Amino acid sequence: MNTALDAGAAVYVAMAVTLSVWVGIFVYLWRIDTQARALKRELEREDRREQPAAPRSTVTRVREGEPVEK
Amino acid sequence: MAQRMAQAAKLLIGVWIAGVAVAMFLVVPQYEGLGNAGRIIMMHVPTAWVSVLAFSISALFSGLYLWRGQPKHDDYALASAESGFLFTVLATVTGAIFSQVVWGVYWNWDPRQTSIFILLLIYAAMFALRSSIEDVARRRQLSAVYSLFAFVTMPFLIFVAPRISDSTLHPNCAFLQGSKCEGVELGVGRLGLLGDRKVELVGLDRVGDVVTAKVEVTEPGMSSVTALSPTYDTANHKILERPNFPGLRFRLVVEDVNLATNSVRLNIEAPGTGLIDNGRTLFTFLASIVGFTALFFWMLNVRATLLNVEWALARREGSRV
Repeated sequence: MNTALDAGAAVYVAMAVTLSVWVGIFVYLWRIDTQARALKRELEREDRREQPAAPRSTVTRVREGEPVEK
Repeated sequence: MAQRMAQAAKLLIGVWIAGVAVAMFLVVPQYEGLGNAGRIIMMHVPTAWVSVLAFSISALFSGLYLWRGQPKHDDYALASAESGFLFTVLATVTGAIFSQVVWGVYWNWDPRQTSIFILLLIYAAMFALRSSIEDVARRRQLSAVYSLFAFVTMPFLIFVAPRISDSTLHPNCAFLQGSKCEGVELGVGRLGLLGDRKVELVGLDRVGDVVTAKVEVTEPGMSSVTALSPTYDTANHKILERPNFPGLRFRLVVEDVNLATNSVRLNIEAPGTGLIDNGRTLFTFLASIVGFTALFFWMLNVRATLLNVEWALARREGSRV
């Protein structure tokens, strides 16, 4: 009567259930992994942006009459 | 480039474990005495192995944290302990399913089940300890010390305790010959212990090359005595008759006969014993171990990254307050 769970078919049913559970876990892990890495990158980018900018030019004292490279 | 390779490796883990799941049902043959239930060993043993690996890595990173004081080491220690806990739960659940099929109950406080339960409690206490300490530096430090102590108990609880116990039903000899697998050597009229059952070799009958051992098995508590007659082919060194212990799926076998001293080596054959003698089973088993180990390292990395992000966000919020 219950053809889905007779001895021969039960193995295939169990395999299908196992595979479905694994696919679910895999997709979940993949998505969390992608999101975690994206979040980490974003935080690192923001940290770099918030750091005080490095000086782009330097000032050098020059004595009067000294030749200056222009 | 490195990122693409990492993505490919993750996809490979997905395909690999799916392949193991298919092989577990379609490639691994049924084991005599267990039927399809024996297939669960392809999940049970690798998850138990990964939990040992995870707790070891957790202890390693805890030690590194105490030495160097870097938060990322604590992240990895915690992530590894959490993964180990998860895999231990999986090993316990799959073991309980096996127990239901073979022993007739999900849980019977077998030494193996008791020791794994204690291990789960020890690591659960670590998570409780972490959540009870507000100060981050102190939480990390105490957790690292606790993790090292917990790690010391792990080999004892997983490898030693179940093997020194006489009354375990767990098939310890499925993969490794050794403790409690050597059986008992008995001459005629001698007594011995197999598991928690007293056995007495009452006599030996020989017809041609076939030797029949007349054995009396006494149940624990001396409640009943049963006569069993396992047989052995001395010409081909082959076990012939394997009578079941009364009410159990464990069988009594003669593993060797010494005609000069008129003695035999008797042993318990538990369902699962000698399981990986079959090549297809061994290959699937090894593939499963590789797959689960890779999965563990992926999970460890994901969880450690999340903890790192969580910590960075908490620090950021703190600095803005």
